[in-house]
Amino acid sequence: MMSDDLVEPVDTALRDQGDGLADQAARAVLAYRAGDRGQLAALVQVMTPLLWHTVRAQGADPEQAQDIVQNVWLTLVRDIEQIRDPRATLQWMLVTAKRAAWRSVRRSRDEHVRQAADENATEWLTAPVEDLPDSVAVRSERDQALWNHVRALPDRCRKLLGLVALVERPDYTVVSQALGMPVGSIGPTRGRCLGKLRAALDADPTWSLS
Amino acid sequence: MSNDDATVALLAAGVLDELDREVFESLARMVEDTDPVPAGLVDRIGMALTIEALHADVAELRLDGELALAVRTDETSIEAGTITFTTDVLTVMISVHAEAGRVRVDGWAAPAEAIDVELHQGAEVISTISDDDGRFSFVDIERGPARLVLRRLSEPTVPVVTPQIEL
Repeated sequence: MMSDDLVEPVDTALRDQGDGLADQAARAVLAYRAGDRGQLAALVQVMTPLLWHTVRAQGADPEQAQDIVQNVWLTLVRDIEQIRDPRATLQWMLVTAKRAAWRSVRRSRDEHVRQAADENATEWLTAPVEDLPDSVAVRSERDQALWNHVRALPDRCRKLLGLVALVERPDYTVVSQALGMPVGSIGPTRGRCLGKLRAALDADPTWSLS
Repeated sequence: MSNDDATVALLAAGVLDELDREVFESLARMVEDTDPVPAGLVDRIGMALTIEALHADVAELRLDGELALAVRTDETSIEAGTITFTTDVLTVMISVHAEAGRVRVDGWAAPAEAIDVELHQGAEVISTISDDDGRFSFVDIERGPARLVLRRLSEPTVPVVTPQIEL
């Protein structure tokens, strides 16, 4: 049986992927249609963390988020014969996850059943600045310095950078577009959000000295 | 345009470099550490997709009687016990025994015939074939959520899937 410490290797695998998730997803869809389910199973491992954080960044609580992520995968498999352009699979999944999260969050608010404070949420990527924690899981002073500057960015920039950080360069455009950011918001140049962060970091001796 | 704005504009137009890469690596680590993907989520999705892939032909099993085996995952003990699943075409009874921190699953399916039996745990699948009386067993099995997929040799395209149980 697969162990619970899967998160670390998955994460490493995700970042070390030579070509992007979009390509891998396209190949998995084609293979699945041809009767080979193995590639999709591998895709579940490398793509689920990105889907998880995408959903969490919309404010879905952990229970909702798990259901949403699982449903995105089930919907993909149920509609897999209808996908016209397999290369759009990653984009479709991210947008589907994001919209499902919105609906779920809105429903919860309507029903006034918001869970008690959920301090770990990737929501910190988008929460209003006054609600942001002073520190997240930082491992060094350098991380803390980075967090201080990330905190000061506009919500949309925090979300963009937090999610783009999880993928490799070929997928930057897909991730930012799925978030509703304009083309060119990141890659091949830094774009405004990363530009702002770099300007702040460059001016911070705590960061640049280490 | 202030100096600050000019600096940002210049940096924004710059090509991503090693330092940006380092920023992303730290940021990714913070995201993962602060809000890790729940343990078992990837496994559960894998299992759901397996069931979904079989779904066209699946006869969902109903549980007969008490779910003696369904110990909660946060409990350390394993309850040895017997459960029965039934469908229109097949009845399956299994009993589970703890053996040195792992478990042994003995099963019996009726009507009796040779049946291909798979034990699914996350992405792991172990398979065996029952004897002519419908008896099968899995030894040295890890604890945790599992389900059985049974294929009758007389009707191999109509698999029977059990609900998930906690071994």
